[in-house]
Amino acid sequence: MAILTDQVKRQVHARFAEQLSGPVQLTLYTRPGTGRLILPTGLGCRTCDDARQLVDDLQEAAPDLISLEVIDVSVQETDVREVPTLTLACPGESPRIRWLGFPAGYEFATVVDAVERVSSGDHGLSAATLEALGTLTEPVDVMVFATPT
Amino acid sequence: MSLANRVSVASPLISARTVEANEFPELSARFGVQGVPRIVVNERGAFVGALPEPQFVDAVLQLAVVKSEA
Repeated sequence: MAILTDQVKRQVHARFAEQLSGPVQLTLYTRPGTGRLILPTGLGCRTCDDARQLVDDLQEAAPDLISLEVIDVSVQETDVREVPTLTLACPGESPRIRWLGFPAGYEFATVVDAVERVSSGDHGLSAATLEALGTLTEPVDVMVFATPT
Repeated sequence: MSLANRVSVASPLISARTVEANEFPELSARFGVQGVPRIVVNERGAFVGALPEPQFVDAVLQLAVVKSEA
C-alpha cells in the first residue's frame, strides 16, 4: 500500500518547487523490515519499510535538491541504535534534526516543513527568540515525544 | 510547525529529536512520557504541551541552564 497518495505527492512536489532553494541531505537509518510483526527490542523493524517508502517519495519530489542516503544498521557500523531514524541537514553538516520512528500523520507535516526550512534557512522565528537563543553557550538537546495523530 | 526543529535551524547549538512515543516505549518510559507532546531538554528537565514560541523558548532555555548548573 502506498504511504502517500498521488494527491499528497503532487502537493509536496508543488510545495518543494516553490519553497526549496538549497540542497538538503536526508539520511535514513534502517534495518531489514519484518512487516507488521512485533519483535523484541533490537530485532527487526516494524516500520522501516514504510519509512523507506516515505523518504523515497520525499526525495523524488525534489531530486535535484534532496539527497538521500539509506544506512542499514545491521550491516554498517553506526552510533544510531533506534530504527527507523531519519536525519536532516545541509550537505556536509552534522545533522541537528532527526525523527525516531516512522513520521506519519502530523509528524509527516513537520518533516516537510523542516526540509523547507533547512533548504531555505528560513526559521521563521521572532527577533526576541533569536536574541534569547544568542545567549546560549553550550549545546542543548531537545527531545519531543509525540504521536502520529 | 515544530518549534524544536525551527530553533535548531536558527541555532547551531540546538539539536532536535522527535520521538514517536508509541514506537519506542522504553524511551517513553525512561523519560516519563504520559502525555504528548512532552519536551525533554538535555535528557533531564521536561515540560508537557504545545507552547507558543516565547514560552517554548523560555522553558527550553531555563531547563538548559538548570542542566549546565547541575
